[in-house]
Amino acid sequence: MSQTNKPRVAIVGFGLTGRVAALMLAEQYQLSVFERDLVAAPASVGTLAAAMLAPMAESVICEQDLAEQGLHAMALWPELLAKLDAPVFFQQQGTVIVAHQQDRGDLLSFQRRLKPLAGHQAQNLDGHGIGALEPELAGRFHQGLYLPCEGQLDNLAFYAASLRTLQNRGVRFHEGAEAHIAQGRVNGEAFDWIIDCRGLDAKKDSPGLRGVRGEVARIYAPEVSLQRPVRLMHPRYPLYIAPKPNHEFVIGATEIESQDRGDITVRSTLELLSAAYTVHSGFAEGRVMSLRAGLRPAYKDNRPHISVTDNVIRINGLYRHGFLLAPAVVQHALQQGVL
Amino acid sequence: MMHSDKPLTIYGEQFDSRLLIGSALYPSPEIMQQSLVASQAQIVTVSLRRQNSVSAGDDFWQLIKDTGLRVLPNTAGCHSVKEVVTLAQMCREVFATDWIKLELIGDEYNLQPDPIALLEATEILIKQGFKVLPYCTDDLVVCQRLADLGCEVLMPWGAPIGTGKGLLNPYNLKTIRERLPDHTLIVDAGLGLPSHAVQALELGYDAVLLNSAIAGAGCPVTMASAFNHAVVAGRAAYVAQAMPEKEVAAPSTPTMGMPFWHQN
Repeated sequence: MSQTNKPRVAIVGFGLTGRVAALMLAEQYQLSVFERDLVAAPASVGTLAAAMLAPMAESVICEQDLAEQGLHAMALWPELLAKLDAPVFFQQQGTVIVAHQQDRGDLLSFQRRLKPLAGHQAQNLDGHGIGALEPELAGRFHQGLYLPCEGQLDNLAFYAASLRTLQNRGVRFHEGAEAHIAQGRVNGEAFDWIIDCRGLDAKKDSPGLRGVRGEVARIYAPEVSLQRPVRLMHPRYPLYIAPKPNHEFVIGATEIESQDRGDITVRSTLELLSAAYTVHSGFAEGRVMSLRAGLRPAYKDNRPHISVTDNVIRINGLYRHGFLLAPAVVQHALQQGVL
Repeated sequence: MMHSDKPLTIYGEQFDSRLLIGSALYPSPEIMQQSLVASQAQIVTVSLRRQNSVSAGDDFWQLIKDTGLRVLPNTAGCHSVKEVVTLAQMCREVFATDWIKLELIGDEYNLQPDPIALLEATEILIKQGFKVLPYCTDDLVVCQRLADLGCEVLMPWGAPIGTGKGLLNPYNLKTIRERLPDHTLIVDAGLGLPSHAVQALELGYDAVLLNSAIAGAGCPVTMASAFNHAVVAGRAAYVAQAMPEKEVAAPSTPTMGMPFWHQN
């Protein structure tokens, strides 16, 4: 089918869910993307994320079905990344969870709250086991867990590659202005389907949607080598250090009930960086690439919501589980109409 | 015979529930709301600091308001007199209440209150018209000094915040109860189990305040209900006056029907 004969789909919002939807639809549909920001300089909260694919660790704070969707999404990611014109770092070598001696109770509590995922087990680690998986952590920690089913990808590489790929596929981009969805049209233009992926920008149309503030540091630390994401037990946040290519590390994330989009606070910076330093002293000589804050879109139940009204499919509320869930949630949403 | 009981009194206001509950660390705001309902608590504590500002955090604040509960703002995360005084003033404005749960942390790791700075801050805030509910250690003299400053409510800890260890020093808590018989005493922090709450109420404490024990439970809503039952049971036991402990067993059923050679 020629490009002009394909059904026309508008994707409104070019954050993580918008990109995943566009990649899933690009071959069969004539796509138009509407984005408030410039697509080459996205402000999407997904650009802050550590992009960890951690269904088992997150099962501690989410329901069983969401953890299972996370496992499903893990299988979908390689297919999605294969559609891209540039390689994106993707890894499935598990997560190591460590705790300082004083926080042993938090580790036990975390372990007790892990939900069973069919065919996947958490493994207890002693100091020797931690050192075997992460040699640079040998001697620093004496208790931990290994969650082999987990993975991660490079969020920034995914954002760059998905834009380039969709540009190469002839997708039309309308950028730099807010788009309005009304009466089954976008800015007055008719489409066969409209996929609303605006996140918090859709607040007016999505009662109950709120922002949950998260703050994240990105550090270049050539003296630190970690093979996989490491989580550190912390009494208030799930703290993690996600190693990206070229000795870059994403350290996050705070979680604050606030709509404040202001810069990261000194307190949060100290908490994140001191936690990283206690995991590996090599972070002391690292370079701070960015300290950022953003708002995760969430509903009251902290679960993703999908709704279909006429030709409009709305996907929102992925909360702290954007990369974990996006392929599964978007696929499920699109199957309700488009796919 | 039923003994009558008086309700919980906080600065002249009376409440039926003896459970005060926190609003942090729940799996979701929805579960928080359900837990608040299940707890039958009438007072919820809210931290302004973690929300940055209520105007910015108005969605979460709206969820709290929707519960209809009385709000007790707290100064969680403050480390100096200046910080708590400023935050208390912000809270008074934002939440339109002169109640303040005064938390002033002296040790970052176990979040132990700083008793010296706490006294200083309490004095300043009472002079400014606040009704202070100080979170303090279970030290009799600190509690007496806080009472001397005009606190009608005192909130000694059971154990460090979030540890769930229960009442680490019942003797201290009992002494404070005996020495300050007319003050409203609330065990704040360190509880993990409903039985800990029962114990606090059995000691004569007027109420308990907790957060992690419910929010961190596998099923927060069910645990909230369990704590509600616990404070009711503990208070009833206190009002009913427990039997005195004895060192030797005493039969609770008459032994007249038993042959005498079986009795010793």
